[in-house]
Amino acid sequence: MFRRLVRMFSSVKIAVVILLALAAVTAVGTIIEARYDAHAAAKLVYHTPLMYTIMGALAITLIAVMVDRWPWKSRHVPFLLAHVGILVLLLGSVITMEFGVDGTMRFGIGEKNRWVTVPQTDFQIWSSFDGDRYTQLLSQEVDFFSHRPEKVPFSYPLAEGELKVETYEPYVLPAKKVIASSSTRAGSAVRFQIQNSRVNVTDWLVQTRPGAVASNNFGPAQIFLGPAPAKSTLANELYLDPSQKGDDLKYTVFYRDPSRKTLTGRVKEGGSFDTGWMGLQFRIFRYLPKAEESYEFKTMERPTPLTTSAVKISFQGKSHWIQLNDVLKLFTDNAVYLVTYGNRRLDLGFDLSLKKFEVGRYQGTMRASSYQSVVATPDGVETLISMNEPLKHQGYTFYQASFQDGPTGEPTASILSVNKDPGRPLKYLGSLILSLGIIWLFYNRRKSARAQAPRGGTF
Amino acid sequence: MNAPRSFFYFLLLLVLNLGLAGSQARAESIEALRAMPVQDGGRIKPFDTFARESLYLIYGHETFRPEKGGSARPASEIVMTWILQPSAWEETPLFEIRHGEVKKGLRLSEEKKHFSFREIMNSDRLPTLMQELQSHRETKEKLNPYFQALQRLENQLFTFREIAAGRMLRLVPPKTGETWQSLPELDGALQSQFVEISQAFIRVLGTVTGNATAEEKNQTQKILTEKIKNFETSAQAENPVLYAQGSKIQTEIHYYDFHPFRWAWIVYLICALTCLIAWAFEKPSFYRPAWLLGFVGLALHIYGFSLRVYLMGRPPVSNMYETVVWVGFGAVVFSMAIEAVYRWRFILLAGTLAGAFCLMLADMAPVVLDPSLQPLEPVLRSNFWLMIHVMTITISYAAFFLSFVLGNIGLIYFLGGESKNRDKIKAVTLALYRGMQIGVSFLAPGIILGGIWADYSWGRFWGWDPKETWALIVVLGYLAVLHGRLVGMIKDFGMNVAAVMAFSLVIMAWYGVNFVLGAGLHSYGFGAGGVEYVAGFLAVEILFVVFASVVRFGRLKASKENK
Repeated sequence: MFRRLVRMFSSVKIAVVILLALAAVTAVGTIIEARYDAHAAAKLVYHTPLMYTIMGALAITLIAVMVDRWPWKSRHVPFLLAHVGILVLLLGSVITMEFGVDGTMRFGIGEKNRWVTVPQTDFQIWSSFDGDRYTQLLSQEVDFFSHRPEKVPFSYPLAEGELKVETYEPYVLPAKKVIASSSTRAGSAVRFQIQNSRVNVTDWLVQTRPGAVASNNFGPAQIFLGPAPAKSTLANELYLDPSQKGDDLKYTVFYRDPSRKTLTGRVKEGGSFDTGWMGLQFRIFRYLPKAEESYEFKTMERPTPLTTSAVKISFQGKSHWIQLNDVLKLFTDNAVYLVTYGNRRLDLGFDLSLKKFEVGRYQGTMRASSYQSVVATPDGVETLISMNEPLKHQGYTFYQASFQDGPTGEPTASILSVNKDPGRPLKYLGSLILSLGIIWLFYNRRKSARAQAPRGGTF
Repeated sequence: MNAPRSFFYFLLLLVLNLGLAGSQARAESIEALRAMPVQDGGRIKPFDTFARESLYLIYGHETFRPEKGGSARPASEIVMTWILQPSAWEETPLFEIRHGEVKKGLRLSEEKKHFSFREIMNSDRLPTLMQELQSHRETKEKLNPYFQALQRLENQLFTFREIAAGRMLRLVPPKTGETWQSLPELDGALQSQFVEISQAFIRVLGTVTGNATAEEKNQTQKILTEKIKNFETSAQAENPVLYAQGSKIQTEIHYYDFHPFRWAWIVYLICALTCLIAWAFEKPSFYRPAWLLGFVGLALHIYGFSLRVYLMGRPPVSNMYETVVWVGFGAVVFSMAIEAVYRWRFILLAGTLAGAFCLMLADMAPVVLDPSLQPLEPVLRSNFWLMIHVMTITISYAAFFLSFVLGNIGLIYFLGGESKNRDKIKAVTLALYRGMQIGVSFLAPGIILGGIWADYSWGRFWGWDPKETWALIVVLGYLAVLHGRLVGMIKDFGMNVAAVMAFSLVIMAWYGVNFVLGAGLHSYGFGAGGVEYVAGFLAVEILFVVFASVVRFGRLKASKENK
């Protein structure tokens, strides 16, 4: 029986079928990646039962074909090397998949970070009665991409009713919007325009709570929504104060020039006034005494660099969107709930701080030629991480992956890829054995074929 | 005198003639002007290269052919006149627009290829189109061919304006910092020296177009050269250290003038022809000259490579153009190695055909394969493993390409009659089998080297990136063929078919991932275009295989019935 099974799996025909199946399935994966993204390809092809089955069948065939050649002779060595090499490689990959860490971390220049963001996503619910101390009610790994909540219901019973995840959208384009609010805790919001012959900017200013100050910096001038200081700040600053009752705002304009007098007045929605800064006209398009920011999601068919994923939940008859790595606050009569849906973050166990970040450019251009981070580990040692020059610390390896630019084009944050791979030694060993085997096989066949081959002359 | 020798002399004469024709055109251009160092695109290049690249971007060719007739003018001369007389150029049809939708959008004539600056700027639709491009860019989605064409137009207009205003022409190193000074930024003394160059240049132009004597021509040329030398001396004095970066300029000019890869494919083609005579017409005396030609071609090929490596200071496999040249090289080397063992003649034929094909492709499709010398993306810089893995993987494509050409030769034999050509079929099949073996024994370790590099720089040995996945698919495909042959699933005919068909996997891995899929981490090698030609090529090959299979099947059936 065993012999027959071995015979069956050691058939080269089965091997050829497996090779072609693997080729076909991974080809589909690359097409999915091109149409969607790497995440979709991984979820739909590379990390699926079908793929694991093919890999498993490959491993069984490799073992069977070697068992079938037993007892081995010296001429079998290259053949065995090639096949053992693949097996060792596969084993290394399994270990990496099970025990490895592959994540990223981001920090601004001068900041510290100890959290690695990994691809797995968790759904968490926290509750609080006083709004200060929170207790975790639920923390569960979820994979809404593969198990859509539309098909596999996901819900959690809260005291005030069931919290249910209704839909999952893998690609949404979030757009911020400001809406009127009825909450007493909400601040005010204005949509304004500042304009002259050369400048024309329209934007929102939203207070997080009543009395808070929201600001928008245009470089030479700054606009604030909130109470104005009593004395001139000796800078080009415009304050809009919504604290007095009524449908208009009090405005105060300070000037950098100490000899100029502070300008004050009142302005309504739709009204405008001259700021006295380089002929800039200031106009209020919209004024909401009570407002809150909210997101609007446009569902997209394909991902773009600006899309993210989001889930829609329902609670007490209302629906809410949560985008990936965002927090939703739900208020009930007697409690506050925090609902989060996001990537899991692993604690490194130590802080890493970004001391310096530099981008090298090709001469006379903005094209990056290199980028590098100087990071410090808790022991005070500073290391330079650059492309292809990672830092190894406590079993983790930190690679320079990318960076973020600020509004002026200067880099503000560095992104490292963080990695722990216990399967690495096996992969290297497997690679070595496999390469040796292939080259040896080729050399052997060449010798034997050469003995039979005709040489020279015309046919 | 015997046949091969006189044939050889004839070819030599032909080649020399071609060479002379080339140098004639060069004599008219202005050497000192071409060799002026310019900072552009992140490096110091000769004014000649700067001018060629700018003219190519805007006009679509590296020389300018006036509409009213007359001889083609060199890029350096044309670009210089943009600076001196921009208004004259604004009325000239200079801007190449290929995309029909863009022409329609601008309400330009769809029959014409070139349009003047005025024509384009006067189109009241231009701001709308540019706004459209800008808002599409903000979505950060990939640009489709229409938007790519719009982007090119934006780039063309910008480049022309910047060159005409002198802002793009950075001729003088700064005292501090890295960005060279452009014409408007120069101080008074240097400005007036440049004015002297312009005046001398205009006088030279006058002698080229007018009926000046050779004496006058020489004299004006000499004055211009002197003025340029004066300017360069002052420029050097600003910052001698930075100016010294221009030391490779003469080599770069030589590289573009001599065009070693073009000579290599010409010689390869002649070699293939000689092999064909030696083999198909059974003229053994042609065999030696064929080898000699093969080596000459290879030497030119290596020379071209060496120049590129010297100029850029890095191995030449960082974009599609360079890998195509490299694969051509590999195909020739592998064919020589196998030919040296078996001496069947058609292997060298297949190899030089493959090499010539690659180099011709590289030479004639600059839209798809960008031949310009470009600095590297950060991730590609100074890394040993990177270059090794790319070179190993692409050299395996060369072996597969050789098998592919051999497979085509084999199928022709099958069509010619299976029993009649039995020996030749056996030989071709063995040779292409060798090619596949060489390919696999480079590709599999190459993929592993890629894994090592990825692990070393990203911490990930294998990430199912499309480029690496397709390399794996190629290995799997060829392994399936080799295993199938081992147990007799695939016989001679099957091997020939497989050699041709499996190469489509290589085309997908090599070209398709970058140009069709266009996704993944290897995006620094990406470009666009040529899909229709590649698809056409594949379709022709598939039809050929189907035709050969049908013919063979019919014959087998007929012979069975006869029995």
